Amino acid sequence: MELTDADLIARVLSDDDQHAFGELVRRHQSSVRGLLRQLTRTDVSLADDLAQEAFIRAYKNIRSFRGEARFSTWLYRIAYNCFREDARKRKELVGVDEELLQAEHDPQTVDPGLRHDLMHALNLLPLHERTAIVLCCQNGLSHDEAARVLDIPLGTVKTNVLRGREKLKRTLAAWGPN
Amino acid sequence: MIDDEMLDRQLREAAPYIDDDGFTARVVANLPVAQREPRWLRAMILLGLAILGSGIAYLLSGGFIRQGMIQLANFPIWLLLVFAFGCGLVVGAFAIIFALRKTPEVRDFTRLEF
Repeated sequence: MELTDADLIARVLSDDDQHAFGELVRRHQSSVRGLLRQLTRTDVSLADDLAQEAFIRAYKNIRSFRGEARFSTWLYRIAYNCFREDARKRKELVGVDEELLQAEHDPQTVDPGLRHDLMHALNLLPLHERTAIVLCCQNGLSHDEAARVLDIPLGTVKTNVLRGREKLKRTLAAWGPN
Repeated sequence: MIDDEMLDRQLREAAPYIDDDGFTARVVANLPVAQREPRWLRAMILLGLAILGSGIAYLLSGGFIRQGMIQLANFPIWLLLVFAFGCGLVVGAFAIIFALRKTPEVRDFTRLEF
């Protein structure tokens, strides 16, 4: 019988069982790395470094996990904080998204070969909308959970998801069937 | 125009599963080493405290415990065996409850639905 996340966390807490924590990493690595790849705009190397940092931080602070939220939600929050801290250090958080948002409306910057690539369209969204879309639509978090991960008001998450969806729909509709 | 449900489904399908490819091993290799005292030291501390507590209780009882032991020695052997068996049952029950609470594999049996 496969152990639940709660069972594995209990083992880490009681015995500092690193194998149990390794199993937690194995279970959640894809979604956490996927989220960070979206946030870093597919910079795989940076995303994996941040994911590793996030998991190590989760191990060090696992006693602060009270089980009120899902373990994956807690991990996303740590991963998002790692990304924000790194972005602050690199001074990439301010300015970049506005440039790419403008690029979205410039047809020459859209590669015709990627017209049907939803991930490409997603990458063109501003950071706050892209993050909300990835968390809620791709990873299945509720708006409330996403608000806790991003530490922003619930209404802001709803607005970001709504706007992000509308932009994606418009982009996909504009592509249309050939 | 595609609806929200279709868009969400396409987004989920567009996100590929990322193979572990040694990632977990790298994370585990970089975890900090646990700073815990060895098990034998914890056992010695517990044993020492138990002996110290028993000694203090004996001294503070003013001979009450010694008299009780002498009276107990005069009891019939079958009564002592019943008493010992009862004590064993109580301690065993506590040990089983503690083991169930600490062992996830055993605790999982309680979640089975029949």
